[in-house]
Amino acid sequence: MSKIAKILLRLVLVALGFFAVTFTVYIFNLDMKLTALIEPFLLKHYDKIPRDKHL
Amino acid sequence: MAKEIGADRFGDFYIDGGKVRRRREWRGLSDTLYDYSRWLTIMATLGKFVMKPRNVKAMFRYRWMANYLAVPMMVDRHTQGLRGEYLRICHEEQDLVIKDVAKLLDSLFRGDRRIGNDTEFSKKVVLVDENEMTAVMMGFPTLKCLSRETPSTYVSVLLNQHAAEHYIDVAQEFGLAGDVCPMPEAEAGVSIDDDAPILGACAIQCNTTCDGSLLGNGVISRRLEKENGIPVFQLAAPLRHREDDVQEYAAQEIRNAIAFIEKHTGEKWDWKAYFDCARRVNYATRCRQEWLEMNRTPYPQVFGSNLALYTETNYMAICGKVPEFERADRRITKLARQAYEKKKMAAKEYRHRAIIWGVQSHYYMDFLVWLLNCWGIVPLTDMLSMVSTRELKEEDTPENRETAIYDMAWLTENMIMRNRTHGGYRVLLDELWEFTQMFNADMVILWEHMSCKALTGMHGMFEERARELGIHLVWVSHDLFDPRIISRQGVRDQINNYMRTVMREEPIDPSLEVLHDEESW
Repeated sequence: MSKIAKILLRLVLVALGFFAVTFTVYIFNLDMKLTALIEPFLLKHYDKIPRDKHL
Repeated sequence: MAKEIGADRFGDFYIDGGKVRRRREWRGLSDTLYDYSRWLTIMATLGKFVMKPRNVKAMFRYRWMANYLAVPMMVDRHTQGLRGEYLRICHEEQDLVIKDVAKLLDSLFRGDRRIGNDTEFSKKVVLVDENEMTAVMMGFPTLKCLSRETPSTYVSVLLNQHAAEHYIDVAQEFGLAGDVCPMPEAEAGVSIDDDAPILGACAIQCNTTCDGSLLGNGVISRRLEKENGIPVFQLAAPLRHREDDVQEYAAQEIRNAIAFIEKHTGEKWDWKAYFDCARRVNYATRCRQEWLEMNRTPYPQVFGSNLALYTETNYMAICGKVPEFERADRRITKLARQAYEKKKMAAKEYRHRAIIWGVQSHYYMDFLVWLLNCWGIVPLTDMLSMVSTRELKEEDTPENRETAIYDMAWLTENMIMRNRTHGGYRVLLDELWEFTQMFNADMVILWEHMSCKALTGMHGMFEERARELGIHLVWVSHDLFDPRIISRQGVRDQINNYMRTVMREEPIDPSLEVLHDEESW
């Protein structure tokens, strides 16, 4: 197999891998399921920030 | 999993008591791949945003930034059930709005004294209200017109129904009344909670919304002027905006606002930039009118949240200043024409043609999608999309420069919502019935925002006229930014009860009738 063909094959495999992973994340809504887990930690963090709270 | 419109049971996508949905829709190969590609684009926009360290710093400083975790879900909520052109129109709009908000956030944090602290950039920033027509910025192309309230409260509640609750509570802890509109109350709460970015050469506030917005502006402007040293101009547009004798006063307010901005930024008004923007505003108006014309026929194309959200952004916040929106207008119109020629429908069945009137529940903006999918009610247009259609002067001549001041005043007076809630019963009550005839509607869904006194005062008059005309009038109460008062299911129940008891109908998709989405974003 020529060098160019090898590079092309590798590119196709990378593209397919990228598609397989991202499409799984997309269709099963995994991105939103993950960020939903992050939110409570962020809210706790905001409660600890010192603020100049007044009218 | 279905390619055909309306073959899915959309209620099955919800997880009882969950924050997010079970999975995304399968819309057939081509539409699913299209939606996936747009999801990737949104992820790239978000990725680009968090690449900048100052934006990450802001994420950990401002509580309202947590809501931006829900950006992809907001798009999913509005694209529910859509296929073909409708899906593409929705993405054209939503993806552009997301990009625009990302740019706004990036600019805010760049100039923010706590985050980027770019003082030179900050000197070129003019802060504006969220609910403000930005016409006075059309002739300042070198200045940045930024709203702190748009990302902290307005967009936040679109993303997460609970976003404003913390700030409403903070405002009330400090003695602000609990029965004012929760939108300005939350905006005041952000300021009281020390959670607003600090930047800008000056700020322009307006009286354009209501008494509640005056409350919020008072609290915010005091902090801006006394603590942050940012001078604030109060742009007071007249209430009876259809009367000829108030127009000179309105125009003078515009002249004063421009002079104020020139004084505090050192920039000069640029007429060429103004007339360029005016041309784009006119183009957006012509496109919107064409969409509304289509909505008068049995084959409406740009309607529901596709019409409402985009009009709000394009008409008021953009106001001709961003050329990308002109390109989007063109693409949306092309898609709409294409679907119209093929007599396409966005849902499998259209049972009722409705005008949506009043101020919509912000925490349930995708209610219009639900109306269509659950009951086959087509939201042809809404009060906030029925804005000015006046053609602005586009050519730079001495006479037109004078008229342009009046055009800007007119736009400011006729900002979204205000053009109906202010100006007397003719614009709020009488014109509704003209629209029901014009759009051949058999139903009016009347949002009753319980804290909006301008609207609730006319409750009886709406009912009286609907009875006379034989129009089905369905009241839907809500509290704009606060789902603790009336939940999303509480909103849906009001429609469900009417449709079952008065109309004696069964839902098209029964799985959507009751949803346990109290905890959902």
